[in-house]
Amino acid sequence: MAIDRAHLGYALPPFTVEVTAARIALFLKAIGAEDGPQDVAPPTFMKAVEGEQNSSRRILETLGVDLRRVLHAEQQFDYLGPIRAGDSVTVQRTVTDLYDKKNGAMDFIVIESTVSHAERGLLGRSRQVVLVRNPQPKAAPNV
Amino acid sequence: MNLETANPGDLIAEYQTGPIPREQLALYAEASGDSNPLHLETAFAQKAGFDDVIVHGMLGMALLGRLVSTQFEAFTLTRFDARFVAVLPVNQSLRCTAKLASRAADGLTLDLEAFDSNGKSIIVGSAALANPA
Repeated sequence: MAIDRAHLGYALPPFTVEVTAARIALFLKAIGAEDGPQDVAPPTFMKAVEGEQNSSRRILETLGVDLRRVLHAEQQFDYLGPIRAGDSVTVQRTVTDLYDKKNGAMDFIVIESTVSHAERGLLGRSRQVVLVRNPQPKAAPNV
Repeated sequence: MNLETANPGDLIAEYQTGPIPREQLALYAEASGDSNPLHLETAFAQKAGFDDVIVHGMLGMALLGRLVSTQFEAFTLTRFDARFVAVLPVNQSLRCTAKLASRAADGLTLDLEAFDSNGKSIIVGSAALANPA
């Protein structure tokens, strides 16, 4: 089922995330990097920040996507400044592209996010491509 | 391999993980907020067409990021991207590699790739690093 192109430009209301030292420590443990710096977020932590409040699931549900059919296809981060323990950051997430491939067998959803800090400005940008594997159409009945 | 003398295409860093168990997927789900049951519930993963739960692509990317953070500590990471070209089943390990892609006056770029234990490509990416200030 093709995703309704009317969802292009859909944005969640901006939300605030408190980046505590404990959150960074838990993330480092989960990626087996407990020995890494504890005061600055590791490179992919931005994904955890933007994923707060179940934001990815909320976007996919708004677009009417079945979670069983979803895979993460691509991810890009641009870093403009460090995310530090103790930071309060604001996340903005927007659906910036919708396209399909293979005659609609695969839908792609592009979600772009920004993470910014009240004083230090934009800290990073994230671009995620989600692949939706659509069920194959049933073969035409024999006549 | 010495970074100073490396040529584009040379392997300059690698890191072999141990098998990634179910418990780590649960911990990553908690730490990242990605609670997609594809990574946590075998029955759900099977309905999605897999034999068992699969490793979060973002966990694999985090392991590639760890290679960059630890081996190029003096540099500042400015861009990091990844394509998740195949899924990694639970309990499999990853070999994370970094090759020098190009060198410029202000920094360098790396080609990154993570492989499963059979040498199958799982993640392909790149990173841009700015020289130490």
